[in-house]
Amino acid sequence: MPDIIAVHDLVEVYADGTKAVDGISFSVKEGEFFGFLGPNGAGKSTTIKILTTLLRKTSGSVSVAGYDLDKNPKEIRKVIGVQSQETSIDPELTGRENMILQGHLQQMRGKELEERVNQLLEVVGLKDAADKRAGRYSGGMKKRLDLASTLVHKPKVLFLDEPTTGLDPQSRVTVWDYLEELNKKDGITIFLTTQYLEEADRLCQRLCIVDAGKIVAEGSPAGLKKDIGADAITITVQDRSGAGDKTATKATARKLLSKLPAVMEIVDSEEGVTIYVKNGGLFVPELVRAFDKTDIELISINISTPSLDDVFLKHTGKRIRTEELVKEVVTGGFGRRRR
Amino acid sequence: MTLLFDTQYLFVRALKKLVRNPILIFFSLFQPIIFLVLFTQLFSKFVQAPGLFPSGVTYLEFATAGILMQNAFSSALQSGTSIVEDLNSGFLQKMLVTQVSRPAILIGRLVTDAFRVTVQSAIILGLAYLLGFNMATGLAGILLTLFIIAFFGFAWSGISLTLGLRTKSAETVFGIGAFLTFPLLFMSTALVPAGAMPTWMQAVSNANPISFATTAVRDLSLPDAFSLSAEVTSLAVIALIAVLTMGATLYLFRKVVS
Repeated sequence: MPDIIAVHDLVEVYADGTKAVDGISFSVKEGEFFGFLGPNGAGKSTTIKILTTLLRKTSGSVSVAGYDLDKNPKEIRKVIGVQSQETSIDPELTGRENMILQGHLQQMRGKELEERVNQLLEVVGLKDAADKRAGRYSGGMKKRLDLASTLVHKPKVLFLDEPTTGLDPQSRVTVWDYLEELNKKDGITIFLTTQYLEEADRLCQRLCIVDAGKIVAEGSPAGLKKDIGADAITITVQDRSGAGDKTATKATARKLLSKLPAVMEIVDSEEGVTIYVKNGGLFVPELVRAFDKTDIELISINISTPSLDDVFLKHTGKRIRTEELVKEVVTGGFGRRRR
Repeated sequence: MTLLFDTQYLFVRALKKLVRNPILIFFSLFQPIIFLVLFTQLFSKFVQAPGLFPSGVTYLEFATAGILMQNAFSSALQSGTSIVEDLNSGFLQKMLVTQVSRPAILIGRLVTDAFRVTVQSAIILGLAYLLGFNMATGLAGILLTLFIIAFFGFAWSGISLTLGLRTKSAETVFGIGAFLTFPLLFMSTALVPAGAMPTWMQAVSNANPISFATTAVRDLSLPDAFSLSAEVTSLAVIALIAVLTMGATLYLFRKVVS
């Protein structure tokens, strides 16, 4: 399969001197579902803006669908579809009008356009709401309309900048299903950026993990996780006497754990303590024995195979942890409502 | 061809938005209508002052041209707010990743604004007629008036679009528009003849584009006032402004969308 996107040594320096993209190189094969995973400010959106002709690069070379970005931006625009982070539909036009306008701007006309729009509206489940103003749609409906309108001209490559940010879990799964179908059934190459581990894990055949404008790791999600070579075990503990405070208990537990030779790494996590070991299943008996006859009682043990967050942690020394952030925001919201 | 088609599509889009929010037209008509109904009453006796106003003319007949231009000017200066809206909602970006003709994005906007100000002016003219106004040069004069207004609006919309692209803030565009409108209005011949102003203000008024445009329309509406050379001069001045503002707008637009 030929490369449909080829990026070599791409650099973007902003006017204020910030290096948003710091010399990245990667390629995407035709028909591939490819992802950029990284925290906010990693340079994901900037990369998408350059690749989709919206932002002029500082240096490096880029080709999309065989066209050079510098020489043929117009040809590139014909074959790409782009969904930006913020939902950009016209709220005062109906869903159908939004789609038709998008088709018109992509040089489509008449019957062909009309049929294509009807077909897409049906696929994204907006057939019944097609003639209502888009401003009255729910958040999920707006996102789906936005996505559908980028597909009117049958693009070869679809660029999605955090397509599910701000969606409720149910709408998120709907969008995922649809994206998978687009990729598998219609053979559209998809380039997606995300800060959700779960999203990258489920959708991407191959991904780059990015941080601070650089690619820190590249591979399939399974391959990347395998490279970690360890399982994560998260335990929660409590003081048998019920006296010691939480931090002290945790510290004691860490001390106990650090004496075990099989433990490769110990990290404090919100729930308790997370350790990394070669084989989680075989290690459990040893773990239980270690806490036997001590003041610390094991309450729960949770073994998980490495996640992409662990991959990120290994390469950058930080966690992405956006899922947790989202959880906090949601609880915060409920708290306010109750008052 | 693409340019024409794309301009048309974007014009239709903007018209739909306008029709679905008719309240916006009424908001912008509020001020000229107050001027037309109340201000002309307030000033109705001033025309009797000896030597200042053309003789035998009511204040309504005199001021209608100025009120039309004031409306054209302030409406045009708001037109940048719509491009800011598209810029901030991401809709402009969404257009820019398509094959759309770049100039069509601007021209579509300008044509819409010119259309809008023409409709508003027709409403104001209709109301003025009800109150006793009369266009001395008849239907031809009305049509030429609407053309001048559209052209004048076109020229100033460019400034506003430029400001919008530059500042990316609707509030700034709105503020600067309001800031410019009143001083320029009062230091022009829109509401009083030049002879009624202090000398320094006359100097400002003589260079004020609103004065030129007002004169072009007033000469069409008052009896025996039409002169071809004055008409051509006024139009030439407006055209010059349009060329300058269009140049600046296109230049800035290139920078923003590159």
